[in-house]
Amino acid sequence: MVLKNMKLAFVFMFLLFGTVNAFAADEGGATARQVVEKFQSDLIAVMKDGKKLGYAGRYEKLKDPVSNSHELTKIARIVVGKEWEKLSEEQQQKLADVFSRLSIASYAHNFKDYSGESFVFDSEEETTRGGVVVHSHFVVPDDKPVKFDYMLKEKGNSWRIINIIANGVSDLALKRSEYTTILQREGFDALITKINEKIDNYSKQ
Amino acid sequence: MPMNRLHNGNRSVKMKQTFSGLLIGAAIALSGCATTGVVEQPTVANKADPYENFNRKMFGFNDRVDNYVAEPISNAYKWITPQFMQTGVFNFFNNLKNVNVVINDVLQAKFSQSAEDTGRFAINSTVGLGGLFDVAKHVGLEQNEEDFDQTLAVWGVPQGSYLVLPLLGPSTSRGIPGAIFDTAANPASYIGMPVQLVSMLNTRASAEGALKFIDEAALDPYVFTRESFLQWRNNLATDGKAEATDVDGLDDEAPEGDKGAASGHGSSDDAGNKAGFALSMDADTKDLVQARYSFSSVAQSFDNTAKSFEDAGAKVDKLKKSKSRR
Repeated sequence: MVLKNMKLAFVFMFLLFGTVNAFAADEGGATARQVVEKFQSDLIAVMKDGKKLGYAGRYEKLKDPVSNSHELTKIARIVVGKEWEKLSEEQQQKLADVFSRLSIASYAHNFKDYSGESFVFDSEEETTRGGVVVHSHFVVPDDKPVKFDYMLKEKGNSWRIINIIANGVSDLALKRSEYTTILQREGFDALITKINEKIDNYSKQ
Repeated sequence: MPMNRLHNGNRSVKMKQTFSGLLIGAAIALSGCATTGVVEQPTVANKADPYENFNRKMFGFNDRVDNYVAEPISNAYKWITPQFMQTGVFNFFNNLKNVNVVINDVLQAKFSQSAEDTGRFAINSTVGLGGLFDVAKHVGLEQNEEDFDQTLAVWGVPQGSYLVLPLLGPSTSRGIPGAIFDTAANPASYIGMPVQLVSMLNTRASAEGALKFIDEAALDPYVFTRESFLQWRNNLATDGKAEATDVDGLDDEAPEGDKGAASGHGSSDDAGNKAGFALSMDADTKDLVQARYSFSSVAQSFDNTAKSFEDAGAKVDKLKKSKSRR
């Protein structure tokens, strides 16, 4: 009896899932909007458990959602601009690696608890270069909402976030200015040291 | 009236001289503070920031002033003042700022927004007990951000170079005349000194979160502040319409494409030449030269502002027409 019920439930869930999928795109590849919304709901879920999880717990829980929705290696390449070519393969690998950890760490640090926040989808538009921008905003109770625009690029049969623009400030542009400046003024090792310092600071609270 | 003052050619030249005099003085004083004797690395000039060496020194100076003076005082203020009073003080000054917002709405031909903002000001000044309570927010009238710098941007005055001002922080060549008009138009400027001081304290106290965020997130706080400031101002001036194109410029293979190169070498333009010239000199004179150039760029911005005011009426008419066509 129980088994039968479960089976029914499964069938029901499957149907439900099927209809959702039909609305979206062909199976397998998620649309840009789906990628963003999946990531946002994962983030909110971690925020809800944020206090209990602690920094380390949040980091672990966010690791996959962040790496699966963001194209971190490509972002790391863009933020160092033309300096990327001057780096050895080993350095490139190291940068991509440290950069990924920084991205996850900053999410784990900045979204540490929950007080009724939510993400709301606004609209979606295609850019001239074949990307998609998903416009949304982050609702904070008793405060001004924060506009979040996600820029996505197609990778294989899915979409990946490549830039986030919060209230008009582009994360990619900001990081790019910082990273190229540091590379030019102080060199590669200093950049890696500084990123590691940031990750360290994030983990301390 | 500040407008009249700017129409007067002699006055503006005089102003220019006084300003550069002041600035060179400040630069000497500052280079005195920072006598580490470190030879600075030549940096690739950012197009918007040809005076980076000078700005960085100013940034460091402001940072120290903040650490040793502003932050302790602001912390003391926060410690003795209950939160509801801090919010009240913030609301009060914010409400007075709406006088500026309304003026600038009109100058940018945003007439329906100006009606809303007038309503906002009226409600908060009356029901909100002289602005202490932000009642309008609860009726759905959100605070709009408009100022003279944005108006000048809408009128087509170029942004000019990024400048870090002593004590006042980040600005641009266009931001300085903008800020002067804003100060002149804001009723709060005409209240006495103690009230001004409270306003300053409160501003520092409410900026705490943002400053902490910069501290945590920035690898290079100077660049972080510069980029976020310029992007934020640009976003405000264009009412959020600039972003789509900006994103597109950055998204693609920077190493293969020429985008990276384009943003890296701004040397073909005037600013780049000046920066290149400045770099060839030794550190101290370099700062003086930068200071002088930065002030001539501000003076130029004043000229542009004055010119754009001459046909302000025509501009508002044109904006009005282009809006109604849309």
